[in-house]
This record gives sequence, C-alpha cells and structure tokens, in this order.
Amino acid sequence: MNRRHLLRGLFGVSLALPFLESFSPRKAEAGAGDVPPFAIFMRQANGVVQQTNDEPEMFWPSQTGALTTESMKAESDRAVSELSEYASRLLLVKGINFAFPGNGCGHSGGGNQCLTAQKVSTDPVGNESLAMGESIDNRIARELNAPGVEPLTLYAGKKAGYINEVLSYRDAKVIRAAEHNPINAYKALFGLSDLDPEVLKRLAAQRKSVNDLVREQMQSLMSRKELGKADRDRLDLHFQSIRDLEVGLQCALTKEEVAAMEVMSPDARANDNLEKVARMQMDIIALAMACGTTRAATIQIGDGNDSTEYYINGVRQKSFHKISHRIDSDGSEGPPIEGAYLLHHEIDRIHARMFKYLLDKLAAYDLGSGSLLDFGVAVWLNDLGNKYHSYTDVPYVLVGGANGYLKTGQYVDVNGVHNGRLLGTIGAALGCKNAAGGPLDDFGDPELPKGMLTEIIA
Amino acid sequence: MEILSAPSSVMRRIPTLLRAGALVLACLSPACVGTIGGSSEDQAAVQSIPERSAFPRLTHAQWENSVRDVLRLDAPPGFSASFTGDPLGGVFDNNEAVLSVTPNLWADYQRAAEELASLVVSDPAKVDALVPADEGQGNEARARAFIEAVGKRAYRRPLTAPEINQLVALFNEAPSLIDGDPFLAGVEHVLSALFQSPHFIYRVEGTRTPRPDGLIPLGPYERAARLSYLLWNTMPDDVLFEAAAAGELDTQEGLRTHAERMLADPQARDVVLAFHRQLFDFRKFEDLYKDPAVFPEFVPEIGKDLVREAELFVEDVVFEQEGGLTALLTSRTAFVNDRLAGIYEVDAPNGAEFGKVELDAEKRSGILTRAGFLAANGTARASDPIHRGVFVNLRVLCARLPPPPNNVPPLPPVEGKTTREIVASHTGKGTCGASCHGTLINPAGFAFENYDAIGRYRAEDNGFPVDAADAYPLGGGMASFSDALTWSQLLAESREANECFAKNWLEFAYGRDAEVEDAKFIAKLGEASRTGMSVKELLLELVSSDAFSTRRPVEVAQ
Repeated sequence: MNRRHLLRGLFGVSLALPFLESFSPRKAEAGAGDVPPFAIFMRQANGVVQQTNDEPEMFWPSQTGALTTESMKAESDRAVSELSEYASRLLLVKGINFAFPGNGCGHSGGGNQCLTAQKVSTDPVGNESLAMGESIDNRIARELNAPGVEPLTLYAGKKAGYINEVLSYRDAKVIRAAEHNPINAYKALFGLSDLDPEVLKRLAAQRKSVNDLVREQMQSLMSRKELGKADRDRLDLHFQSIRDLEVGLQCALTKEEVAAMEVMSPDARANDNLEKVARMQMDIIALAMACGTTRAATIQIGDGNDSTEYYINGVRQKSFHKISHRIDSDGSEGPPIEGAYLLHHEIDRIHARMFKYLLDKLAAYDLGSGSLLDFGVAVWLNDLGNKYHSYTDVPYVLVGGANGYLKTGQYVDVNGVHNGRLLGTIGAALGCKNAAGGPLDDFGDPELPKGMLTEIIA
Repeated sequence: MEILSAPSSVMRRIPTLLRAGALVLACLSPACVGTIGGSSEDQAAVQSIPERSAFPRLTHAQWENSVRDVLRLDAPPGFSASFTGDPLGGVFDNNEAVLSVTPNLWADYQRAAEELASLVVSDPAKVDALVPADEGQGNEARARAFIEAVGKRAYRRPLTAPEINQLVALFNEAPSLIDGDPFLAGVEHVLSALFQSPHFIYRVEGTRTPRPDGLIPLGPYERAARLSYLLWNTMPDDVLFEAAAAGELDTQEGLRTHAERMLADPQARDVVLAFHRQLFDFRKFEDLYKDPAVFPEFVPEIGKDLVREAELFVEDVVFEQEGGLTALLTSRTAFVNDRLAGIYEVDAPNGAEFGKVELDAEKRSGILTRAGFLAANGTARASDPIHRGVFVNLRVLCARLPPPPNNVPPLPPVEGKTTREIVASHTGKGTCGASCHGTLINPAGFAFENYDAIGRYRAEDNGFPVDAADAYPLGGGMASFSDALTWSQLLAESREANECFAKNWLEFAYGRDAEVEDAKFIAKLGEASRTGMSVKELLLELVSSDAFSTRRPVEVAQ
C-alpha cells in the first residue's frame, strides 16, 4: 500500500465500530482505580447574571447545602438548573475570588488568572497582558502525564484578535496556543487510530530513525556555548516535544463524527458554528479522557472577551461582550440594550447546555465500575464574576468527584477564597503534589496563603 | 521569555508602544505621550543593535513557501492550514519571541514531513525534479547528489561532510523501514528527515568571531536567508545562493543590489501586502456586521471587496506610485467595483470588476478615509470615534496610551445630539477621561465624523452638522485640523507618524520587537520617510544596516 494513501486513510476511514466499542482497550478491564482521575475546564467569558446591586440572582440556587434534582428543578429560573440531572455529582462553589488586579483590561486580567491564580504582567499590558505563571492544566500534565504529553487545549469560536486564547500557560508569559478546528485536534490525537498494528510498528520504526537523527541535531545546537536564555528555552521545548510513536492504543470516533469535522473545517471559526464546534471539541475531550490520552483539558468558549453573537430564540443577538456591559458598545458608553440582563442569562444557559453536553458524553462512557464522569472532574468556570466584570464571586461549577476525592451533591459558599486554593485542590484530587510531597496546597502565586479548600473534599 | 543578566539600561525594551488599548474611560492622570522613547547618546556599535534569537522559527506561510521551493513544486502544499496556530505576538505574525515548536506543532511538522515525502515518491515527475537521472553513476552517487542539492535548499546552506554522511546513512537504512523500491524508500526517508530538521524549521544562525567593533557579521548564507525571507517570505533562490557563494552579500552595497532585484519580483508584492494587511487589520474587514435595516447595501460580499480594495490601493501606492507613508495617507487613487462605487459616490468603471478611479478631493484622502478602515471601526449603525481614534493612536502614531482602569465608574447621563457630542460628554475635556480620551483618542477619531458606520461621506449626523475639527499634540505643539483630509495631511507630515511607520516596518522586517537600541535608527528612517522616502527605499535602508547583517553577541544564559 502506498504510504500516501495510507496516511490519507488515517483520517478518512475510521473504525466502523459502534461508538462505545471504539475505545475498547480500557473498557474491558476497567475497574475502580484503573482510570486515573482527570480534569476538564470549560471557560465562559464575561461573567454571569448573578445578584448585584441592581440585578437579581439568576445563576445560583437560593440555598447552599445539599443539591437534588428536585431542588434544582424547583428553581428553574436559575441558570444552573440546566444541570439538575447531575445534581448528585454537582459541586457548586460560590465565593471564589481572583487575588490580583488586572492590568488595564479586565478581560485579559481575568482570563489570565482563572486557571493560574497568578499575577498579571506589567509588560505587555492591557488586552495583551499575560499570566505570570503556569495554569493548573499545565501543572497536571507536567506532573501526571507521561513526559512530553501536553494538556489538551481547545477553543470554540472566532479569534477576533483583540484577545484570543487566555487559558493555558506553560510558564510565566508563555501562553499555549489553542486549537480551534476540531478535525485538527482529532487528527493530532487519534490520527493513527485505525492503522493495522503491523503497519503501525513499521511507522514507529521509521519515526524512531528520523527522531534519532533530529535529536542529535538538536543536541548539537543546544550544546552551543553562546545561547541566550530565550533560545535555550526555545530549543529545550522543541527537544522535549520529540516523541517516539507508542504502539498499542486504538481510539477513534465514528466515521460520521469525523466526516462532520472535516466538513466543518473551513468554517470552524465562524460565529454561527460556535456551539457545533464546541460539541465536536467535547467529543474529542471525552474520547481523550476515555483513552487516557492526557489528564487535563481546557476548552475556551469564544474569544477573550467573547464577541460571539449568540442566537436566542432563533434571533442573532448583539455581541455577548456588549450584552455583558448592557450597552451597545465595546467601550464604556453607548445606548442601553433593552433587557440585556435577560439576554445575558440566556447566554449563561447556552453555556450550561454546552457544558451538559460534555457531561452527557463523559457519562455515556460506561467503564463497568462506573461512568467516565465519576473518575474525573469537569469544571465550568468564568473569567469574570458579573456584569461589572468583577474579580469576586467568580463562578466555578464542578461535576464529578475525581474518583471520590471531591464531595459532590452540594452547593457551597466559601465566602471569599482565592481561586488558587480551588485549583490546587482539584490538582490534589488528581494526584498533584507540593514540593514537600504532600497534596498540592500551594498552587498559584507564592504570595497567596497556602491551604486546601476543605469544604469541597469528601 | 525574558533575557537574563543584561544591563537593564540597555536591555530595557521600548515600552511596547502598540500594545495598550482597551477601550474604556481612562480616569488616569499620566501624560499621554506620542513619542518613541530611546537614548540620544552615542552608543558603541555593539549597543546599536539589540540581542536577538539565533533560531527564529519559520512562520506557517514561510514553511509553505519554503517547502514549495525545496521540492520545486508549482504551489505551496497547503498543509499548514491544519497546523497549530501561534499565539499573538504583537501586530505582526512573524515575531520570533512567540514562534516556538510546541509538542502539538512538532507533531504537525512530523505528519506534514511524512506526507510531503510520500507525495514526492508517488510521483515520478516530482522525483525527477530532485534526483539526478540514472546515467550509470551508481545509486550511492545519485543519493549523495540528491542529498547535497536538496539538503542545501532545506538547510539554506551547503551541508557539511558529516551532515551528508549522516543523511546517506539514513538513506541506506530506509529499505529496511519502508516497503517498495529501495531507492525511492531512501528518497522518502531523507525528505522526511530534512523537513523535521531544526535546520529547516529554524533559520539557524551560527556563531563566529566578532569584528573589531564587537558585532558578529552574519555568514553569507545567513544573509541570503534574511534577505529572501524578508523580501519574498521564502528561502533564497539559486541566484542568491550563488551570490552568497561568490561573496556578493558580504557588503551592505551587495545586499542592497540584490534587494533591488528582489523588490522588482512579484513575490515582493505579497510581502508588502502582508505588512499592510496586518498593520491596518484588513482581516477584520471581512467579518463586519452592519444593521441591514440601516445599510441594505452592505451585503455580505462587501467584506471581501473591502479587503481587495485596500490591497489594490497599497499595491498602487508602493509599486506604481513608488510612494511611502505620505501617499498611503493622502493619495486619492482608489479601486472600486459596483458594490463599493456607491459608498464613494463614483461610477464603477469596470462594473463588477475592480477599476481605478480618483476620489473627490473635497471628501476623501488616503487609507484612513477609505471604507475598510472606517467600517471596521464603526458600529452596526453608527460611526465609532473612540475605536477610530484608538486605532490611529496605536497603529499610525505609536502613541503610548496608558492602560485604562480595570473598573469603569458609573457613566454620566447621555447629553448631546451628535455622536461626537455624546462621546465628548462622557470622555472629553472636563470629564475623568480628559487626559487620554480628551487629548489623544477623541480628536484622532472625531476627525472621521464625516463618515458613517460603513464609510459613506456625510455632512450631517443625526440631522445636525458634523464637526470634524480638533487639535492633536504633534511636533511639540498642538496641530489643528478641520477634518479627516487635513488630519491625514498633518499625519503624513508629522515626525510621530513617520517614526511609527518606520518602527512598524522594522519590527516586521526583522521579525522582532523594536528595542531601545533601535531608537536612533528608527528616528533616522522616520525623518527620511517624512521627507519623502518610499516604502521600497525604506526596505532597502532596512537591509543595508548593521541590524540586518550582523548579530550582537549574546549574554550567555546562566
């Protein structure tokens, strides 16, 4: 068989197996503890409609404490009621704050902190400001993945260029590019999934032969005496990125799902495709977790200050950013948008339903000893609190107990705790450690008070 | 990534002038200044240029073009469309600081290299273009000749003997790894390795002895690569390789001569367009929403028209008029089709195709009075003086706008009848926004109040006469203008806009941020631009400088 056809075939022809059969390697023998816990973070921008001085509570339940499907359904005017089906696996955490001010742009400042709990850069500033340390998905991947295996970093929606991806940081000021096109993400992870094992072995040998030569070339460049720090970091990252092919895992989506991604490819950034793209990305995330491809994933919905024009009742609305400011302008002045808070609430619900799609996908992977959802934790978070784009009461909605580590089925108000504590606790639930070997209790900027968020631990 | 252990006075970056820019009220007192910082003292040669990467990675467009030229293909393969994107690194997509090989991109490179290799060996014509014919010299000799010729293009320099031997070994190993014809297996395997090599992925610059003044001259092949990636966005052609081998690029005059030859080639047009496309954000033109009830003529196809119009205009200014910033800001030559003709109140000379017209001298000037810029910086229904003003401040004047506050205070009630009056009542003189909005942002945007949300000319706004007059601090004083025409003219004559244009070209041409060390050179280029230097001449100045043809020794990482 000609290799070109073969490589082409990788992505065109998928295994014609029923959906749940296609990740068979783990399914057969999975038992409690066999699936290492994972974390998935979905970001919504622009805050949510929660109680402020002049707007009513439309996000959280009225009472903290235990959550049941009935109690949540009874408050159907709250955005989280969209998730009532998952009440027993839900963990609603109110009272989380960002510890540091932004730097000239609330959106980038919030985006930079929501998964890092780090300060915001002074250079660059404004909409180009960056986080001063790594994000939790990076920490999880760095500590728990096999060497060189990245956190999955996905994106749905347009890249408008004002602020694009904000979530995943490799290190201070080094942001990880997010993949906006599902087919690219899929190919990168599962492109070889339907190769014959013998062919795969040969391909692995070919790659090893090239990789050995390239590693030698890289080492020679890295051994130069006069390397600046930026160049050394650049070459180190490149060198660590070179991986040999591991033969054995076969994971794939259905032929139809992959074909739909191919069709979507040219228009993956289009405004009107955001929700479809988000769902495709979630299919990939769920498959990646089912197959143990990585332990951490992020998906960003919309650009930095989400300018997507969402559809509500079939009507294309003004940009979410404008709606979130309640005025017809991206700046600070402009004519009011009538009923903007209700539109914002509907957009909160759109996000809730996208998140629920992810939960449904994870729950559908039955591992015998439980559904995939129970082994990990999925987080719906925001990079701002409310319509004032505040850094307090930034909503974090967790689903799944990370194999029993987290105490689900409850709504807690932790009353003003920095988000590093929550992120660290999620890291600890997955197995991340602090420098002393204890559970991760010092994630984020070193100035932040250390400790776990005990309220959410089982 | 920060550079360590350099004296802070030298390595301090020019505060990134193009970066500020959130659009909210600024209740800040710091002076808003529109100048480029820098030292006026004479510096030693070694301090006249900043340290930079010796491993700038190819942009995805450069990867495409380079693959095409290495393999002698008719067109770029298009594989990079599925590559992992790069994070934003300022205005331009070629800033070396953000171009890294991440695990995802490495996997993209690997897959593309394998596909390219198998693409070549599956097509005898493509193989023949790379491998010498079998004339009885033996396969070993053919393999060596193939490796030396194609390897030279891939690494953009002749291969060393050990490098050739390594690749020959790889060639010979191939039949045990790849089925089919053993010779083709070798070709495929070597091609795959070449495209995964750091010597292809990066424009690797070597190290050598400094000159007496402390600067390290680049080698001839490194100069050839810098030249070709700057002017053609691809690897050197055979002529440049020969010039490098013959020492023709060793002098600044030699570089200039070759740059002149390359500027006359159509490939240079793409590069010049890419600069303006990014600086003036043409991409934004394609995705505009205007209220169809107010602007029924703003049909979806018009987005692409606006981009094409802007491209044709830039090409005309740079290559037909041989102009510079002044022509860009003041030329009234335009290219319209029937959809755009209405906006400009002219007849479309070629109907649905684009045709050249001269616009009304009373109503239009250069690029800032064209529909693309005006519509992209307009809302769904109204003009948008703040966005227009911020754009001019950041992209045309490189003004430093301090970051606005994080929390916007409650707004005063709306007062006024025109867009200008409303904006001024919130942000103008006498309000908390006076320091930046009142003095810098609003005037630079009010100048365009004669143009509505889609760039049509108007004498009235909301039934009241338009007031587009204002004043802006230029050249140490306040420069008054009456409308966008006089404002464009003032900009074209200003030191600030010309230095900004030079700074942007320097960043684009060198693929890095402008640094403190560049300030003197930028000032010199700015003055030349102000007194009429063309874009082409500006490019020639950029390639015949020390910053182009030498390196500063690096501060070694600890």
